[in-house]
Amino acid sequence: MGVGPSTKETSLHHFRDPLIRILGEDKGIDLMGVLIFGSPEGNEQKIRCSRTAAVVAECARPDGVIVSSDGWGNLDVDYVNCVNELGKRGIPVAGLNWSGTAGTFVVDSPYLKDVVDFNKNPEGIESNIVGENNYTDDDVRECIKRLKISMLKKERGL
Amino acid sequence: MPNDIELRRLVIKAFHMTEVSFGEENKVTIDGKMTLNNDGLDALTEKYKEVIEKIDIQIINPGDHDRYTNTIMDIIPISTKVLGKCGEGITHTITGVYVMPTGVDTAGKQAHEFGSSEGNLKDMLYLNRAGTPGDDDFIISFDITFKEGMGQERQAIIEAYRAVEEWMTTFRLQLKKFDGMKCTESHEYYDRIRKGQKKVLVIKEMIAHGAMLDTWIFPDEPSGVEGGRSLIDYGCMPIMLTPNEFRDGAIHSMN
Repeated sequence: MGVGPSTKETSLHHFRDPLIRILGEDKGIDLMGVLIFGSPEGNEQKIRCSRTAAVVAECARPDGVIVSSDGWGNLDVDYVNCVNELGKRGIPVAGLNWSGTAGTFVVDSPYLKDVVDFNKNPEGIESNIVGENNYTDDDVRECIKRLKISMLKKERGL
Repeated sequence: MPNDIELRRLVIKAFHMTEVSFGEENKVTIDGKMTLNNDGLDALTEKYKEVIEKIDIQIINPGDHDRYTNTIMDIIPISTKVLGKCGEGITHTITGVYVMPTGVDTAGKQAHEFGSSEGNLKDMLYLNRAGTPGDDDFIISFDITFKEGMGQERQAIIEAYRAVEEWMTTFRLQLKKFDGMKCTESHEYYDRIRKGQKKVLVIKEMIAHGAMLDTWIFPDEPSGVEGGRSLIDYGCMPIMLTPNEFRDGAIHSMN
C-alpha cells in the first residue's frame, strides 16, 4: 500500500478498482492496458522509472493517459515527473492524486491542471483512516471527463 | 459492438457469505456459511516463529466496530483461480467477508512505516470504499504479534503475508471446487480492442520503498503472495498488464 494509511490502496481496492472498471465500461474508450511502475526511495531512480513509464506510453501511441498514485509526499516526485514527461511529449494527460491541504504537490509542472485531487477528509489531512482518502467512482468520472476534453482539444488543434 | 475485437474473457464468480462463525474446522460452504477454527494457529505460528510471536484471529460482525485494532496492514479478498491463467478463464471469489491483517510487535510498536491506523476500528476504517468492507460485511481480523523489532523488517512483513496466505489456502481449495452455476454473482470482463475509439492508457504509480511500503505483482493466486515478486525486485521499472490481469488480482498491497 502507499504512503499514509488514508491514501493506501488495499489489495481489495486493486481487485475492484473503479478506474479500471469505469474505463472498461466506457464505449468511447479503447482501454489499452495498465502500466505499473514502482515508486523507489532514491531520487535518481524515481526520475528514471517515471520517465521510462512516459517513454513506454509514447511508444504505444495512446490518445490519452491517466496517471494515478497510491500515496503522496515523496511519491509526488515520480508522479509529477511522469505527468511532465507525458505532457512534454504532447500526450493529453489527466490524473488522480491525493493533495488535500497537507499533501499539495512538492514539485510542480505545467501539465498538472487535469489532475483530480481526490481528498475526502474535511480538513484535507492524512487522517490515518484506512480508505478515507481513496478515489471513488465520482473522482474517476471527473478524471475521464477532463481527459476527454483534453483529447478533443488536441484533435481540434485548440 | 461490431467494431469490437474481443481478445480474451475473464469471468469472476462471487460466492456471498451470510454467516461467519467459529466452528469445528476452517470451512466455507456454497450456501454462504463460513466457519473458522483456531486450533491450527499454534502450528502456523511455530512455522513462522523467527518473526512471529503470536497470531490471533477474530470475527468482526457487521457494525460491531467499536473495538481496538492494531494498525491495519491490508484488506484482502479470498479469491482463487479455477480455470486459466491470470487475466483469463474463471476466478472464484468470496464476498461478504474480507481478511484484515493487522500488526504490532511484542514491545508494542505498531507495524507501520508512515502513519499507522491503530485505535478504535470504527474510527480508523472508512467503510464502503472500493478497498474497504461494506456496512454488511464481516471482517476476519488476522492480528499478528511480531517478535520485537520485526514489525519494521521487510522480510518479516513478507513472511507474515505468507502466513496469512497459508491460512487462506484451506478456504481457497474449497472455493476452487464450488459449482460455478451456484454463484451469487457472475461478472464477465473482456480485454478488447474498441476500434475507432480513443486509445487510453492507465499508468499507476505504486509504492516500492521497502518494509510496509511494498507492492507485489503476479502472485499465483489472486491477491496472493506465492509466485509473486515485489516491484522492488523488478527495479521499479514499468510493467504492462492487460486490464483483465489487473482485474484478476495481479497486484497485492504489501504493507
